[in-house]
This record gives sequence, C-alpha cells and structure tokens, in this order.
Amino acid sequence: MDNISIKVENLEKTFGEGESRVEVIKGASFEVNKGELVALIAPSGAGKSTLLMMIGCVLEPTSGKIWLGEELVYDKKWLTKDARKIRREKLGFIFQAHYLIPFLNVLDNVSLLPLTSSEKEEVVRDRSKDILRFLGLGEKFNAKPSELSGGQNQRVAIARALANQPQIILADEPTAALDIERAHSVVKMLKEVTKTQGVSIIMVTHDERLLGYCDKILKIVAGKVETSHVTEGEVV
Amino acid sequence: MINLAYKDIQHTFSKFVITAMGVGMLLGIVLIMIGVYRGMVEDAKVLLNDVNADVWVVQQYTLGPFAESSRLYQDLQDSIKVIEGVDKAAALTFQGMQLFDKQGHAVRVYTVGYDPRGDFQIIPDSALIEGRVLRESHYEMVVTDKTGFALGEKIKVGRNIFTVVGITQGTVSSGGDPIVYVSLKDAQIMQFSYSNPRIRNDRARGLESKDSQLVNVVVATLKPGYAADQVAQKMERWKHLTVYSQAEQIQILSKNVIERSSKQIGLFTLILVLVSSIIIGLIIYTMTLEKIKEISIMKLIGIPNFLITKMIIQETILLGLIAFVFGNLFAQLIYSNFPKRVLLEWPDSFTLLAVIIVTSFLSSLIGVYKVLKADPAQAIGG
Repeated sequence: MDNISIKVENLEKTFGEGESRVEVIKGASFEVNKGELVALIAPSGAGKSTLLMMIGCVLEPTSGKIWLGEELVYDKKWLTKDARKIRREKLGFIFQAHYLIPFLNVLDNVSLLPLTSSEKEEVVRDRSKDILRFLGLGEKFNAKPSELSGGQNQRVAIARALANQPQIILADEPTAALDIERAHSVVKMLKEVTKTQGVSIIMVTHDERLLGYCDKILKIVAGKVETSHVTEGEVV
Repeated sequence: MINLAYKDIQHTFSKFVITAMGVGMLLGIVLIMIGVYRGMVEDAKVLLNDVNADVWVVQQYTLGPFAESSRLYQDLQDSIKVIEGVDKAAALTFQGMQLFDKQGHAVRVYTVGYDPRGDFQIIPDSALIEGRVLRESHYEMVVTDKTGFALGEKIKVGRNIFTVVGITQGTVSSGGDPIVYVSLKDAQIMQFSYSNPRIRNDRARGLESKDSQLVNVVVATLKPGYAADQVAQKMERWKHLTVYSQAEQIQILSKNVIERSSKQIGLFTLILVLVSSIIIGLIIYTMTLEKIKEISIMKLIGIPNFLITKMIIQETILLGLIAFVFGNLFAQLIYSNFPKRVLLEWPDSFTLLAVIIVTSFLSSLIGVYKVLKADPAQAIGG
C-alpha cells in the first residue's frame, strides 16, 4: 500500500429502486499509484462523474471499499463522520468550469481552503503565491475571476486544488471548456504537478488527444473499470 | 482569515446598498406609522395639558366637552370658584370650525375660547413662537403655525374681522386639527348667537332670542391639600353637574375619542411590521439562493459550514442595520410633510431595531438551512 494513492475494490453504485433501478457502476476495482496522472474515459452517462464523486466522498456508493492513501474511508458505509474533513485534507477538485468564487480575488480563491486549517495565514499566503507563480499567474493575485480568460481561470482552479497540499486531485473534464491549445497546456501542467509534487490525479476526459500525457487509463465499460497503461511517447 | 461576507458585499456593493435602501424605506414607513400613532395619542393630551386644570366641570350626565356635547351657564364659574378647596376657575368653549385663507382655501381649525383677563392662561408661554397672547375682549386671534396664517393677518369670521396677534406651535386638538384661540365673548358669539333672520323668525314664533351666556366647560384648580375627587363630589351633589379629574378627562379622550382610530393605526403598524419581516426573510432567502452554486463548491472543496453560515448571518445582520439607518433617515426626511403630527421617538426606533435584528437573524436561519441542505454534488456537472 506504500505506493498506492487510491484503491477501489468491488465498488458498486445503483440509482432508484424496483423497475427504475439503474446499476451505473458494477463492481469497479482499480488502483492509482502516487504521482500518477490517470485518465478516466467512457461515453457520456457511463458513470465517470459518479465514480469521481464516490472517490471524492461526495456520493455514497451502494457497496464496495475505497482507500485514500492508507486510510480505508468506505467499507459498505462511510468510516468517518466528517467526509468534508477528508476532502479538505486529502483531496483537491478541478471541475469542467472553473467554479471560482466570483467575489474573491485569485489569491483569496486559492488561499480560502488552507486558511481554514491551523496553518499560519502568512505561510498559506506564501505557498498560494508560489503555486500561482508556478502556474504562470504571478501577476494576477488581485484579479477577480471575471477579469481573467477561461484558461487563466482554469489555472487558478488548479492552483486552488493544490493549495491545501492534497494527495489526490479529482479533475472532472478540466479541459472541456478550453480550445485544444489551452487544453494541452493545462494537462501538461497537471502532468508536471504529478511529477514535481507527487500528487495523484484522476482526470475525466473525452479528448483522446490528451491521453498521451497520462500514465494510466481507466475505461468504464458496462459499469466495470478496465485499466490500461500508457507507455512513454505512446499516442493513443 | 478571509471574511466572506465583507468580500461578497464589496463585490456587489451597489446591489447590497440598494437592497438595504429598499428595506430601509419599508422600515421608514413602519416608523412613520408608529409616529402617527404616537402623534395621535400625544395630540389628544396637548390641550388638556395646556389647560392644566385639576377638575373639569361639564353638563350633568355627559362626557363633555370633547367626547360629548356639554353646555353650562358662564356664571357657573363664579359658583365654582367659591366652593371650598377651589383656587381658580374659568369658563371655556371649544368648537370645530372652518376658516378661509387669502386664496380662499378652507382651513379646518379647532377654536378655543377663553377670557384673556380670567384666572387661566390657556396658551402656554413655551408654545408661543411669535407675537403675544390675547389681550382684548374682541376681534383678536392667536393661531397655530400649521394654519398658515401670518402675524397681523385679517381673518373674516361671520360678520367680524379678527387680527392675528400671536402664533403658536404644536397646539392641536385631540383630532389633530390646529387650534385658534379667541376671547370667550367672541367664541360665544361664534357658537351660540343666532343670525338676525333667525331672531326675527323666532320672534314671529313667539320665542324670545337673546345672546346666551353659555360655555362648554368650567375648569378649576384646587388649593393645596384638597383632593380632586372630594371637591368633585361636592360640586356634583350641590350643583347637579358632572365633574372629571384631569386623569379621567385624559382617559375619556384616549378610551372614548381616539381609541378606535389608535387601535386601527396600531393594527396597521403591526401588519406592516409583519409584512416587512416577511419581505426581509424573502430577500435573505433569495440572496442565499443566488449564491447556492458557490456554496455547493465551497462545501465540496471542504470549506466548513460555520464559515459559510457566518457569511450568511453577517450579511443578514448588516442588511438589517443599514436598512435601519436608511429607515430612520427616510422617516426623519419626510415626517414633517404629514398634515397631522408624526411623533418619532428613539425608544420606538430602538425597539424596531431589536425587532429587525431578531427578524434578520431568524430570516438568516432560512439561509443557513439552505446552506446546510445544499448538496455538494450540485457543483459537479454530468
């Protein structure tokens, strides 16, 4: 388990009951290692976001087990009363749209979550500035989301996901709203984050041109998850 | 730590202030309504306080002179004056009437007639803002500033022309009409004298018409050591009159004369406070709903509930406070334009503030409930 960041075992999720019962995930099992960029692919409605939300402790599975790092967080029920604490301490989220808080500036958006921890404000602010500089937003600390381009906002969202130093980032189609050039740039950045900071990232995507950056591909087929590895330089 | 309420308000400052102003105007109207109620109660006591008598002697079995018609002979004041315990006594008349200004506009007034050389000084020095009190027995008038008449102005009443010799402020009847003061003799002519055709008509009927010496009430003050009820009992027994103390007269006015009107205003005020509370609640609810996406995101990324609920509660309380300030400013700006007295009192304002704070806090709980119920999964599409 030392090198494993996420482990999922026989995970199931059904919606509805009786005739309207729909089995979305049927016994999914996979592992994600530390520092891996993993793509999660499947047709629309196959359960990508559902799987992501279950790993993110937002949606309760029907059965199965989930480990985040070495901690077993779900075993037929949540093993913690405060799922938000797990999200706060272990996870970072990036969404299709940037979903930044419109009334906060870039630096506040990035610092907000870690400021709720016991860390000193000065330390948090400095780290947030470092992350923003790393993502090429060193001049935009005081800008509001409405004053930035789509690509810049998505980079701020990445910075926000990194600010609380998570072990795992769950990215739900982070490039969907971007043109191909910016999409490549964002995924390159995510790749760099995995290598430099040892963070594991699961990225939902429809764009097969981006799969070449990933270490592993998780494909949902008929409710089950198939894992395939991408060798260096391979174009999928 | 980042103050989310401060940042949010800063971001939508003009919208927040305009919302607060809107709520403030509503609160201003509530304050005005309370002021109208207070003014009505206060107006009812103005004349009684100005006269400041210990006992009010009226026609037997009547609630006069304000609640029911009362007629007494003027010379009764002399009989009253010699009763043991009575210090001073004076006969007064009260009459509602209509005057006309220079442009011919009707001015509704309440006329008080008193003897300028009598025992009682009816016009308080503090109320006189210009000119002097009555000095002559005829054709002088002291008016309240709200009548619009100026010092020295000539006013025609019946066959006579009166000169305004003094102007008072804040002197109104229990109904809120501005008071004009004339001499008792003039007031008796206005109220009780017949016109020449009527006198001729009465003579033709075999009736004798002559100038009456009637008044509406005789007021008296008592010597030290005499209780009002004991002296009143004596007067009622020997003179066949009804006598009220100052306190009873105030009660008659507040219970019999203005009770229904004041209850109506009070009920209307209560409904207005209730409606304002509901509107504040709806505004807070809408303000929270507008932020529900951001709230879901915050919950999803792990922001604790207390930070989000703190934002909602702080914004709500601040909205209430700003609205309270605007409400007071608005009420202070417009209250003097109302035709009748509007009495704005700080204790009422602060009571309303307490109501608004409690209402705002309760309203914010609706927002907090929405926050607690907000599903973080709403943040993720697909």
